[in-house]
Amino acid sequence: MTRKQRREQGRRQRRALEQAEAARTLRRKRLRLLGIISALVACGIVLVLIVSAGASKKLTPGSAQSRAAVSDVTTLLRGVPQGGNVLGRATAPVTLQYFGDLQCPVCRSFSTQALPSIVAKWVHTGKLKVEYRSLQTATRDPEVFAAQQLAALAAGKQGKLWNFVETFYREQGEEGSGYVTEGFIAQVARQVPGLDLSRWASDRGNSALAGQVVSDAQAASASGLGGTPAFLIGISGGQMGRLEPSSFTDSAPFDQAIARLVHSTSRP
Amino acid sequence: MSARGLRGVLIVLTMTGLGVASYLTYVHYAGVMPVCTTGGSCEKVQTSVYAEFAGMPVALIGLLGYVAILALLLRPQSETTRFTAMTFVLIGFAFSAYLTYREVYSIHAICEWCAASALILTVMAPLSVWRFLQGPVSSRSASTLQSSNGDGRGRVPAGP
Repeated sequence: MTRKQRREQGRRQRRALEQAEAARTLRRKRLRLLGIISALVACGIVLVLIVSAGASKKLTPGSAQSRAAVSDVTTLLRGVPQGGNVLGRATAPVTLQYFGDLQCPVCRSFSTQALPSIVAKWVHTGKLKVEYRSLQTATRDPEVFAAQQLAALAAGKQGKLWNFVETFYREQGEEGSGYVTEGFIAQVARQVPGLDLSRWASDRGNSALAGQVVSDAQAASASGLGGTPAFLIGISGGQMGRLEPSSFTDSAPFDQAIARLVHSTSRP
Repeated sequence: MSARGLRGVLIVLTMTGLGVASYLTYVHYAGVMPVCTTGGSCEKVQTSVYAEFAGMPVALIGLLGYVAILALLLRPQSETTRFTAMTFVLIGFAFSAYLTYREVYSIHAICEWCAASALILTVMAPLSVWRFLQGPVSSRSASTLQSSNGDGRGRVPAGP
């Protein structure tokens, strides 16, 4: 080989080595970048999970919200007899049937804003009894709907349905977020004062109660009720008629309808 | 698979994903129910609280993401476009995984359209990573992320 050829060969070899070195560096750099991007994306998803978990409000037992809710409910129901799904004296002349979905926010508004006044004015005085019935609206999953309603009815077997229902309403999470889990239902039950939890748990499987959920749905459908809250009102033991109040958060339209019926029963 | 073939497959997948995301975006804004073979579960997912993220419909986010990826794939290719496309695909893949988690564990319903998009991104993720890692290493191509000279094919401006 001539000297020129040797120099050429040397140059070629050097260039090949440089290129190989550059290729290695480039590959390492790409892997490093991939690693950084993957780590960032993973962190991003963790952040998304944390942020979205806050949206599906999970109730913490013993929290201020929980204590306030329980206190509210206790005040509301103090001194009022309960049996099954009925709030008030069984002998009350007028009956109001309240069709609700425990996950429905409008029902919650009714329960917290209009119902207390109705209870104070009419239920305490023995003129009115309120029956809680169920109609699926806000709850997406029929199995969850049945589970939550059966939990309420099971509490009713110990005369505490209204504690369960009113506590549930006050502790609703974000609609459609799937917050009503077994854990959530159990937590509501734990906040019902004096509830025998093991008895409650077995009553949840009671087939008669399951039948009640079905007949509530049929009654709602027969009366043409489509949304919640929905109301039927009438003389106890008599025909129930549709009550369509102008507002769910004001007790005035309810007072009017109840008063009319109460006066009709006191006529000789 | 050749670099060109890989790019082609990615383009086809992106366009499919774009079709799905476009349909779901239309469904969202038109207020109609999506075509669904599993009863009401598509609607359940599309109307859930998780169908919106930071105030935007998730379908729209997906649509914009697919458009960006497609734009990156159609441009003359370089280290930068391969890297950026891979990044977008990985973000899309991770976000789809999160949404699928929500479908299974929070909503308890699967929307087949969302599943299709998630599947597309799951296939695109390793492909785009591979394409980035296996990009040309010759010193004539862009060996840094600063330049965009096209792949190592001499003077030809556009390449796979």
